[in-house]
Amino acid sequence: MRKMVAVVAVSLLGLAACSSTGGGSNPAVPGDAKPAASGLLAKAPVADAAAIVPGSTMEKIKQRGELLVGGSLDAPLLSQQNPVSGEVEGFDASMGKALAKYIIGEPKVKIVNSASETREALIGNGTVDVVFQTYTITPERAKQVAFAGPYYTSGLSIAVKKGTTGIAKPEDLNGKKVIAGANTPAIAAIKKLAPQAEIITFGSDPECMQALKQDRGVAYVQDETLLAANAQKDPTVQVIGNPFTEDPYGIGLKHGDEQFKKFVNDWLKKMQDAGVWQQAWKDSLGTVVKGEAPAPPAIGSVPGS
Amino acid sequence: MSVLLDHLPELWQGLLVTLQLTVASFVGAAVLGVLVTAMRVSPVPVLRALGTAYVETFQNLPLLVLLVLVFFGLPEIGIKGPPMATAIVVIAVYQAAYMAEALRSGVNSVSKGQAEAARALGLTFGQSLRLVILPQALRTVVQPLGNLTIQLIMSTALAGAISVVDLTEAAKRVNLQEAQPIAIFVGSGLAYAAIAAAVGYVTGRLERRLVIMR
Repeated sequence: MRKMVAVVAVSLLGLAACSSTGGGSNPAVPGDAKPAASGLLAKAPVADAAAIVPGSTMEKIKQRGELLVGGSLDAPLLSQQNPVSGEVEGFDASMGKALAKYIIGEPKVKIVNSASETREALIGNGTVDVVFQTYTITPERAKQVAFAGPYYTSGLSIAVKKGTTGIAKPEDLNGKKVIAGANTPAIAAIKKLAPQAEIITFGSDPECMQALKQDRGVAYVQDETLLAANAQKDPTVQVIGNPFTEDPYGIGLKHGDEQFKKFVNDWLKKMQDAGVWQQAWKDSLGTVVKGEAPAPPAIGSVPGS
Repeated sequence: MSVLLDHLPELWQGLLVTLQLTVASFVGAAVLGVLVTAMRVSPVPVLRALGTAYVETFQNLPLLVLLVLVFFGLPEIGIKGPPMATAIVVIAVYQAAYMAEALRSGVNSVSKGQAEAARALGLTFGQSLRLVILPQALRTVVQPLGNLTIQLIMSTALAGAISVVDLTEAAKRVNLQEAQPIAIFVGSGLAYAAIAAAVGYVTGRLERRLVIMR
């Protein structure tokens, strides 16, 4: 009994410490009210019966009645599980649901929580049908998987603590400690533009923010939308300048399945023509970025797509 | 395969960090483990209670939680260490709890008569522990200590969570660039297996040499 009490006391202590350190920078709530996700899907197109060719990947998915999507559960604004409803919300998540509706007729998806390390393997062995996970199209990756799209172009920006001087462009990061998300394209981008920078990585965005605030590094390089959301919540942090890279996000598909790739590209075109793509952007990323939805990138415009 | 050779410098650097983490936290854990065991078998009730509290605390918290908590939590009260030092200290403190339990089972396996004989000869508690009990206890727990060391090697892979670029983190970074997870992670997995096998071999040799025939 005494042992039990001790254990409980210690774990409570741990919990208290967690909440006090994480409290200020919790990423979970940019836009508590997630409006009109169902309205969005009501507008999403459904494929003609003729497009679902017998024996194709689309038909298999339709037979199964569920689209298996490789994605994140912890990416704010893109693909994040709502702790209250259990629904996964955000731009990537909406796109996945819309694709499921296009194939099956209903937005039935199962999101398989994949990591950057496992995406290629998960697509290759058929664990997932598609990947919607800020999956930047690169020539190296295109040797392992096929990319439909690009469906969105993002870019990396630099965030610093307010009052930091001497950092105006990526080259200024040389010789400094720079924080980046583990498994994000930021690592390669920093190495290219500021080879003398010391890169320190953390698994999640809130950890990176905490590290920035605790002066573990002078700057934090991350996707512009994420940084915009962070800066909006936390007035001690500011974003510097415009994005300095262009990262085209693709929809990861099995390598060599040209039929399915064309099918997904056709769907993407329809989504953009019908304005559903734009609506999905407005409901998610548009809640932190000012202005109208940007023009979607041209499909197949990137080497590897 | 070529992807491993192309990135050998990064992976090698990661391996070195993993080895540093392993050696440094093993030494720390061994020293702390002996101290905690001494506390747990000491005749002073307060020390015994402290030893028990230590073991129960650190055995019941996941290492990842401890790492993140110490790395991000302690700076809030003004204690901020570099990532590598934090990782070494936390892994040592965590692993010491397990080492202490293994050592205590060794102490318990030494027959009571040994302690009584030591006392009868006029040795103090410290002397009897140092000269009579521990030498015998350590010999019986070589194998479990070896297993714990292998577990410690695997635990170092969590240090990546607090920005230490060990072998696992280096492999992740290479994979991010090359997108060949199977070659890269099998390769780094083999490196871990090789270290573990080396520890296992040394443990086996030690055990055969030190075994006490009863």
